[in-house]
Amino acid sequence: MSTLNFVNKDSYSHLTDQELLDRFYADHNNDWLGLLLERYILLLLGVCMKYLKNEEEAKDSVQQIFLKAITELNKYKVTYFRSWIYTVARNHCLMQLRNRHGKSSAAISENLAAPVEETAGENNHMEKDHMLELMTNSLAELNQEQNQCLILFYLEKKSYQEITENTGFTLMQVKSHIQNGKRNLKILLDKKLNKSS
Amino acid sequence: MNPEFFNIISHSNKDIDPQKLMDYLNNKLSDTEKHEIEKLMAESSLINDAVEGLEHIKDKGKLQAYVDQLNKELHNHLQKKKLRREKKRLPEYSWIYFAIILILLLCIIAYMVIRQSIH
Repeated sequence: MSTLNFVNKDSYSHLTDQELLDRFYADHNNDWLGLLLERYILLLLGVCMKYLKNEEEAKDSVQQIFLKAITELNKYKVTYFRSWIYTVARNHCLMQLRNRHGKSSAAISENLAAPVEETAGENNHMEKDHMLELMTNSLAELNQEQNQCLILFYLEKKSYQEITENTGFTLMQVKSHIQNGKRNLKILLDKKLNKSS
Repeated sequence: MNPEFFNIISHSNKDIDPQKLMDYLNNKLSDTEKHEIEKLMAESSLINDAVEGLEHIKDKGKLQAYVDQLNKELHNHLQKKKLRREKKRLPEYSWIYFAIILILLLCIIAYMVIRQSIH
């Protein structure tokens, strides 16, 4: 394959990120990288906006992240592209912020914690019933706000907006209760699993 | 017990449909569709960060133009890189052609010398 026909690039839309990467590593044709990276434009723009809060800087950063990705992917083999590109984007934005504010910002060092992605399947070995029982118990141990938000969001399938209307929490509070609730639930589950094993 | 419980501790690597994401940002989705996007947000730090960041863009109408611009620049860059690589390869090929011609010439000369020496 010398050049991909971009008029028909939709015909490659069924390929997973990993398949596109494998094809790139097989023939080192940058067109595969183009197809892969363009899937992430909107997400990377969003990540850069979250950190930089400036549209022009965010757009420039996305371009720089792409350049870095193209260079690095030509040098090294990447397995989990999604997590990798997210880490590249975060690190780039944090460097930008450091250059902007100096190295002493506490918020930046707090953000340096590794992103939590790609841990799916770690509990696959557990028997479902046992897990459900442990989860029900753990959920009951959460504080009321986190418990309420998790139940409304995951079990009653309410949107953030509906939860704010039902509970009187702000949107940020709802997101925070869900995120913290999930984290605490995992901690409680891990403790229970360690005890039972 | 509700099997939906498992979603609470799951992490997702599901792809998000860019058009759905745009519609979410423009508040064009139903509550059920909103919930689907928010579930992906809750399961993936990347998607969550991205949505929170995109919400900072005040004029959401510009978003598609930004994406198109970045897409165009990405492909321009890749195209330039490819042309540069092909240019680098040209001298390699010219040496190959030169070597072939030289070998052919040597063969012809050798043939002529051998033929003359026989006669």
